[in-house]
Amino acid sequence: MNDATDTASPPGREASSERGKALANVIFNAVLAALFVGLFVQAGDLPSSMWEPLGAGSFPRLILGALVIFNLAIVVQSAMALRQTDQETSVGAGRWFAQRRLAFATLAAFCVYALLMPWLGFALASLLFLLAVQVILGARRGRRLLIACLVAAVFGLGLYALFSHVFLISLPPGRLW
Amino acid sequence: MPMTDALLSSVEQLFSLATLVSMMIGVMAGVVAAAIPGFTITMAIVLTLPVTFTMPPLQGVATMLAVYVGGGSGGLISAALLGIPGTPSAVATTFDAYPMARKGEPGRALALGIWASFFGALISAVVLIIAAPPLAMIAVKLGPWEYFSLILFAVTVVASLVGKSILKGLMMSLLGLFVATVGQDPMMGVPRFTFGVDVLAAGIPFLVVLIGIFAVSQLASEVENPTALQRGESLVSGKLHFRPLAVMREVLSRPGNLLRSSMLGVVIGAVPGAGGSIANLIAYDQAKRASKTPERFGTGIADGVVASESGNSATAGGGLIPMIALGIPGSAVDAVLMAALMVQGVSVGPRLIMDSADLVYGMFLAMFLAAGMVLAFCLISMRWFLRITEIPKSIIVPVVLVCCAVGALALNNRITDLYLLIGVGLVGYLLAKLDYPLAPLVLGVILGPIAETNLRRALMADEDWTLFFTRPISAGLLILAVLSVVFTVRRLLQQRKIART
Repeated sequence: MNDATDTASPPGREASSERGKALANVIFNAVLAALFVGLFVQAGDLPSSMWEPLGAGSFPRLILGALVIFNLAIVVQSAMALRQTDQETSVGAGRWFAQRRLAFATLAAFCVYALLMPWLGFALASLLFLLAVQVILGARRGRRLLIACLVAAVFGLGLYALFSHVFLISLPPGRLW
Repeated sequence: MPMTDALLSSVEQLFSLATLVSMMIGVMAGVVAAAIPGFTITMAIVLTLPVTFTMPPLQGVATMLAVYVGGGSGGLISAALLGIPGTPSAVATTFDAYPMARKGEPGRALALGIWASFFGALISAVVLIIAAPPLAMIAVKLGPWEYFSLILFAVTVVASLVGKSILKGLMMSLLGLFVATVGQDPMMGVPRFTFGVDVLAAGIPFLVVLIGIFAVSQLASEVENPTALQRGESLVSGKLHFRPLAVMREVLSRPGNLLRSSMLGVVIGAVPGAGGSIANLIAYDQAKRASKTPERFGTGIADGVVASESGNSATAGGGLIPMIALGIPGSAVDAVLMAALMVQGVSVGPRLIMDSADLVYGMFLAMFLAAGMVLAFCLISMRWFLRITEIPKSIIVPVVLVCCAVGALALNNRITDLYLLIGVGLVGYLLAKLDYPLAPLVLGVILGPIAETNLRRALMADEDWTLFFTRPISAGLLILAVLSVVFTVRRLLQQRKIART
């Protein structure tokens, strides 16, 4: 890589990230605004009360109404920001996700962990999860892998024992056995 | 006399073996958690909450306060030894503590911070004890109109203090208020927005939202950068030498700085939304302005460490003032403490100090006790601090995630709460990436039912809604709410203009 591309690339990346953020905001807040309009209409069905001027639906409708206005305001603001950014630069959503792949991988592992827990039970599911995430985050070989196994065993089984025996908080025992 | 009775009863509860042991563990957990970069105080307190469910109310709250006060000092460790703030509250501590440590005085830097934290926490506890009862006396007289306006003011202040865009801040506050309306309505018990789903019938569980927002989404952003995952290179080598008593005298020889920074911390802590992360920077800045040798700040001088650490520790007592006196949490941490009391069946509001005087006095005493415990623990264990900061994130993140799962399961032992936790965590992560501040959401959730109840009570008492604007205190609070928004918009516009030129 020569000097010219080196100096040129950071602002370019910045612009595409700004553009991506603005576009994401437009989509995200438009969806939210639509959702809140729907909920606003639904809140109209909530019963009113004969004892008070405001029924069960009034406060939520007040909040939802304000939420719709604020979300539309953010949509307008982001749309203006979107027009100011360079049209040529790509949004770079793929790269955005790729850069944060470890974060998403960790969250995905957390999902699998939650799905497995009713079957495997807290202790075993935690042990596997702890090991898997440490491997994902770089404990691949040698001493670090050994430490990872140790941490997984100690915390997976230890937390289960601590909470079920000391704090008397029951955790899923598992359905398979 | 009932007051002495309450005091004696709180002393009896606090000085039981079980409470002292759980507080000591809390202090250690708080110090260690805050020392680990990427593990915030809020995260530690949120994860302590489920553990306190089985304890009596005072023991539970005292344990959480111990974590809180411990966390106020822990951030100093990585700030001084690695130059990385362990928590956002220790940013200004890196300015002077780290240069001092690099110049070969890591022991002095740590001891200075520990003593400054101790005195900061002590001063804030004194202010809390003096200020909270009279404030509660005034607050009891407030009608529902004033209360509703007060919450509106709190919400706008939070939204304007946190984050880059006030629109986004207010949006998040409103979203929090909306999330709180899911479940039964507070006056009639009508189910709202439950869509026939059983899990939603009792409302969205607040604890799950807290853990998802402050722990899961935060942890996800910790592991984003693969190259930064490896930590454990200590930048300060050599032995730590301590002279605790000499350093104590050094701290006490700066009474002006200590008092000013602590009082700033108390006041900033009492403002909803502001907290340790702002207080340390402002205290540092003010100490620099007041100093005769401002140019020496940043080179590793004692004044800088004292200002930052006493400032951030003093926010703990300050944040408790509105929570105890008004039932309005000053920060996310106070919201968690309030949630802990609510789970125990204690109703938090201006009557708390009258109805559960022993609990409130116990909390006051617990602040002092915790400050002393932190001091003792830090001075004894300072030698091992370097090792704590060496634990890599690849171990911290999964272990804390498992703790999050325990926290979500602890309340009801429902696996659906775990799914909800992941959903909230993912949404929180994406929101944070889109520059949405997360603290207003949490305060919105906790203030929602209080706001709604007071609004409806006000209109039940009198259908005339102009009373919100004609009752003087209510009108004053509403004007303050508008002003906080106006000033923030002006400040942001000015910043944008400066950025453009």
